[in-house]
Amino acid sequence: MILERLSSENFRNLEAAEYRFHPAVNLVVGMNGQGKTNLLEAVYFLATTKSFRTARTQSLIRFGQSYLFVNGDIARQGVTQTLSAGVDPGESRRVLTINAERVPLGRYLQSLTVIAYSSSRLEIIRGGPEDRRRFLDRGIASVEPGYLERLNRFQRALKQRNALLHAIAARQARASDLDAWDEEFLLAAIPVSAARADYARRISALLGATVDRYRYHVTGLTLRYLPGGEASGDPGAWRQRLQEVKRQELRSRMTLVGPQRDNVAFELEGRPAAEVLSGGELKTIVLFLKFAKLEHFRDETGEAAVFVLDDIDAELDVDILEAVLLNLPAATQLFATSAKQSVISALETGPHRRFAMDGGRAVEVSEH
Amino acid sequence: MTAPPLAHLINELTKLPGLGGKSAARLAYHLLKRPTADVEALASAILDVKSKIFRCSICNNMTDVEPCVICSDTRRDPTVICVVEEAFNIPTIETTRDFRGVFHVLLGALSPLKGVGPQDIDVAGLVRRVQAGQIREVIVATNPNVEGEATALYIAQQLRPLEVRTTRLGFGLPVGGDLEYADQVTMSKALESRREI
Ligand SMILES: [Zn+2]
Repeated sequence: MILERLSSENFRNLEAAEYRFHPAVNLVVGMNGQGKTNLLEAVYFLATTKSFRTARTQSLIRFGQSYLFVNGDIARQGVTQTLSAGVDPGESRRVLTINAERVPLGRYLQSLTVIAYSSSRLEIIRGGPEDRRRFLDRGIASVEPGYLERLNRFQRALKQRNALLHAIAARQARASDLDAWDEEFLLAAIPVSAARADYARRISALLGATVDRYRYHVTGLTLRYLPGGEASGDPGAWRQRLQEVKRQELRSRMTLVGPQRDNVAFELEGRPAAEVLSGGELKTIVLFLKFAKLEHFRDETGEAAVFVLDDIDAELDVDILEAVLLNLPAATQLFATSAKQSVISALETGPHRRFAMDGGRAVEVSEH
Repeated sequence: MTAPPLAHLINELTKLPGLGGKSAARLAYHLLKRPTADVEALASAILDVKSKIFRCSICNNMTDVEPCVICSDTRRDPTVICVVEEAFNIPTIETTRDFRGVFHVLLGALSPLKGVGPQDIDVAGLVRRVQAGQIREVIVATNPNVEGEATALYIAQQLRPLEVRTTRLGFGLPVGGDLEYADQVTMSKALESRREI
């Protein structure tokens, strides 16, 4: 899939101009400020309806304005579609359209997949369990259209079950009322848990293969899915696990097993990677991880996701970066920004388009 | 300022589901423009429905005769019961014309978040009907969302000792959705592809 064109209104300081992109490599360079990252962030927002820098959507809207939207043309398997994602104060949800028609989030997210790497953001390794669950969920949702719906069902069942545990503790409901909700909870939880376990296994294998391929010195790294509350296997095993923790659950008034407590362990020979590896090694591993995601997406869909590289800093090994970029799945469109000239030079070897940004404006666009 | 009697009407209308302040006001002004006879007819229809409609003692359907026309229809098969959350789900299933059994209206679905537990919906009445005998199948047609699924599981658990065939509407219904919005074809398919629970 190729992002051919993008325009925006009130997205940070980006000028409301139209950007036409190169199908292979797009380099965004600039002397100062956030302008260049803002353009990549707009690409990411168009694909995910979120930012890779902030959880606060409000901060994406230009100061003094009340709404924003980003729209773009995506060419995919011979068809071009126009996507638009917007934030409007009159709407509780994002305003999402495909070819000017309102669509639900699940469908919208299927139309463009962007995988982003940022040297300053290593949540996948350093962040909390929530960041790791999000890593799994986003990866699965990009290749499995029904996954978000299953995730929603699970979250609703969890809320209901927790409300019931509260009611039982307050003697407003009977313990036997749990029977039906236990069953609904595990029927909703098992598909989520199974999809996450499978995805973690696949990514771990691809990551290992990537490390080997580049003969990187950090070997033996594994990504292990840790099911929340140690619940796994068939419905029978889940039922048993729920029985085992029931007393504890009634005391703590919350569900103690299931995907809401999942985690992912990134380990190097059994020790947490975040503690063992240096900053530069972590950055390289995260780059490999993104590469693994790109390959997984290609394996599952037969298509190439868009790859965004933001803010590549000096700690990342430029030789490895160059090698990785040369081996991306065929037809991967790349967007990259860096303040480092060595990185820019490494990316300038093939045909590309270069956007020189000054503030929120492209002052020069050149083809090479 | 709105005249007090008009404000009073608008205030009463906003209590209706799906009516915000603006649409309530539009409706109130519209009623004011109608001939008195029309408004009287509407008012008496509303009062009528309250005084003449009650719940069928067998199935909880809304009715003006006891038992309701479905329960008393001798051409229908009283050994197959279709369980729905609300009385307004009955017309949705009736449009298919594929279902010739009788109904049981639960009057809601399990939802701890709303404080609705098993004692707040009429599963006990369903169990009594099955215990009374001659029931071949119970088709659970609760909504295909989390609350409807949990309710279906609860019903299955309550009916298990009675060894009656218990089925759930099949695929085709939008997940997380509402029976109310299913069209005739979808509903027919869902009935046809029902599975044991
Ligand atoms: Zn009746």
